[in-house]
Amino acid sequence: MSDRDITIGQYMAKDTALHRVDPRLKFAAVAVGVVMIFIYSGWAMVAFSVLLLAVLAVARLPLLAVLRSLRTVWVILVVTFLLQVFLTPGEVIWQWGFLSVTDTGLYNGALFSARVVLLVILLAALTMTTPPLALADGLESILRPLRYLKVPVTRVTTVVSITLMFIPNILEQSRRLVKAQTARGADFESANVLRRVKDILPVLVPLFVKVFHDADELAVAMDSRAYSGGEGRTRLRPLKIGPVEAVLTAAFAAASVALVLL
Amino acid sequence: MRESAAGCGAGGSSIRVEGLRFSYPGSSTEALRGVDLEFRQGAFHALVGRNGSGKSTLARCMNALLPPSAGRVLSCGIDSASAPDRREIHKRVAMVFQDPDTQMVGSTVEEEVAFGPENLGLEPAEIRRRVDGALDRVGIVHLAGRQPARLSQGQKQLVAIAGALAMEPSFLISDESTSMLDYTSRRKVVELFMELTSAGIGIVHVTHFLEEAALADSVVILDGGAVAGRGAPAEVLSDPVRLRELGLDPLAVTLVAYELRRAGHQVPGDVLDVKELVSWLYA
Amino acid sequence: MALRLSLENVHYSYPLPGREDAPALTGADLAVEPGEVLCVAGSNGSGKSTLAQVCAGLLLPDSGEVLYGDAPVEGRAGLREFRSKVSLLFQSSEDQLFADTVAKDIAFGPKNHGLRGGELEEAVRRACALVGLSLEELGSRSPFSLSGGEKRRAALAGVLAMDPEVLVLDEPFIGLDHTGRELLKSTLERYREERGASVVIVTHELSDAWGLAERFALLSGGRLLKVEDKSDLLSGEVELSSLGMKLPQWGELVRELLGSGIAVTDPSDPRMIAGAMASFREARGE
Repeated sequence: MSDRDITIGQYMAKDTALHRVDPRLKFAAVAVGVVMIFIYSGWAMVAFSVLLLAVLAVARLPLLAVLRSLRTVWVILVVTFLLQVFLTPGEVIWQWGFLSVTDTGLYNGALFSARVVLLVILLAALTMTTPPLALADGLESILRPLRYLKVPVTRVTTVVSITLMFIPNILEQSRRLVKAQTARGADFESANVLRRVKDILPVLVPLFVKVFHDADELAVAMDSRAYSGGEGRTRLRPLKIGPVEAVLTAAFAAASVALVLL
Repeated sequence: MRESAAGCGAGGSSIRVEGLRFSYPGSSTEALRGVDLEFRQGAFHALVGRNGSGKSTLARCMNALLPPSAGRVLSCGIDSASAPDRREIHKRVAMVFQDPDTQMVGSTVEEEVAFGPENLGLEPAEIRRRVDGALDRVGIVHLAGRQPARLSQGQKQLVAIAGALAMEPSFLISDESTSMLDYTSRRKVVELFMELTSAGIGIVHVTHFLEEAALADSVVILDGGAVAGRGAPAEVLSDPVRLRELGLDPLAVTLVAYELRRAGHQVPGDVLDVKELVSWLYA
Repeated sequence: MALRLSLENVHYSYPLPGREDAPALTGADLAVEPGEVLCVAGSNGSGKSTLAQVCAGLLLPDSGEVLYGDAPVEGRAGLREFRSKVSLLFQSSEDQLFADTVAKDIAFGPKNHGLRGGELEEAVRRACALVGLSLEELGSRSPFSLSGGEKRRAALAGVLAMDPEVLVLDEPFIGLDHTGRELLKSTLERYREERGASVVIVTHELSDAWGLAERFALLSGGRLLKVEDKSDLLSGEVELSSLGMKLPQWGELVRELLGSGIAVTDPSDPRMIAGAMASFREARGE
């Protein structure tokens, strides 16, 4: 039970303005944000970070829980940071053997890491304030035009929503399996990397089998409740773009773009 | 909650299973080998049998989740194979599964219960009425805003039942919905089923607890994909020798009554309950 | 031969980010006597699975102690030693098989404990015999091709192959039908006898362990209320329904009979109960 709470960007039910924003608007805002993050540098980036923190505050998301999402990408973060730092030419600040750190390298490394961090926070803010079903519904209505290109939009969004719903399930299953294999003498605490890699197999195989099985069960349960994708579906709380939400989103997007001009 | 059981309509108020056969793709053995049964609306039916006897397969065929390989299933007069829209079956025959964790889709209890009616394309006001009605019926109005993942197992299963009832079905099929629950939660679910039958809903409860089956109006025993026994609990559950042959665990009371009869005592053949057996001492 | 396994005032909480920790065990005391079958019974959410994992050294208490024999379980080496003597069969163990053949899966545990060659083969063979799986027939098959009941037995064999002195089982009966239950019960009984092992059955269903366990530890709200033998349970001192549990029908019957002054020594033997009832009626008739 409690294991479920330690998850990546898992939806947190709260009643805030941001939770109420139409998922389609959120997708639009996130899209603007993602593009901007790759354009920003220097002070614009700092300002955007502040803006993002403000968004988190409005949504009453605990910063710690948001930052925890970074655990999934920390390896990428560290590796790319080091690559940038050591491999970018520029004025050498520090040298050790063939390794040299340059000023441009440090700057690029920091910039790149900041981008990854901001991206993760932005996406976490989306998934933590939007229930998986609402995400699927929002995504479906945005992708609807693709139907004319024969893209199976409904299926895609159903798969996306089931995947999102399954993240906590997968994490919990893997924890259980690690414990079960520990009980059979597997040594996950070993410092020996080879041994640890070898011990992952007994977790991965049953994890996949179980997750596929559960996903199948969920699909059957959804089917029995007349789910056939978003088509013909209505909502208890219909998606609607109210004035407050529209203004909020527009302000976010405008601020994001304006920061480039800084 | 408005009484919802009127829904079956002119097609007859039953689920009729006729010569039903089913094989899973890639499997050489038949999971169901010619099953003929009728389940009435407003009655509590128990479906029992050993592992692999075909209970779950039958349950899924009745909800049009599996198409018959041969024979047919008529739910409220609608043939599940030729229904223009399977939704027509899902509206009338709702289902609850064993593991509440793999049937939840909503982020709040309210959203979870609303899922079915939303799929039926109903107006928001009607969805609201159904959600409130179903939560009230199951007695969990106070949980409406909670996250399903944070509830206890028993509460989760009640949410799942509310989600099924929000479809306002004529039948509710429970596929071992009590097998992971503790006694208190299980009793709550079975009592709820009994209440629902008096509101006109037909219940088909797949279970391996014969004590639960003993509370039903009628019991069906499956074995090897075929019907191995059917009738009132007193008829079907009181022969321990036969039950053991079918891989079932007879009730303690029927085992003792059986021993008494073997020793030449006159014990009524339909005793299922402790009090009844003890009253024999003084008869 | 097993030693005494005891938990003393064990507390355990699951950490929840941004909120208060969720306590699962709040001062649990338990002693598993050498060679006994003990049933730990509690409703959903009473802390059963946590207790099972603490018993097997897979969760370390926040405070309190786990002792094996007289020695507290401490340090990495101590923990490893403890884990090699106490094994846990997890809930839904049938979902935890992974190897490409049944035999390899069963060999996983003993191999991790350093067994090789003939010794390893012997451990696998013995475990298969204990659970009633034919190694010749099923050993080279994929575990995923087995039926549900066979998978559960293969998983149990994987644990028994490690030859534990104390065997802890978390909800081992869920989903098994009558035949599967009887098979499991006789396997546990046989293992206890042959190995002198202690067996701890953790369950929400008293009837599961009724014919098997001598003592019942009742768990509620993360605390062990009481350890009782069957006659205590039958005398009805503890209100089982307030703990989310119920006596099996056997127990209810025997309790009713006690009310009429009929005492039965084995509360799960139909012939004995029938005999006692018959003589009561005859005595009344005279």
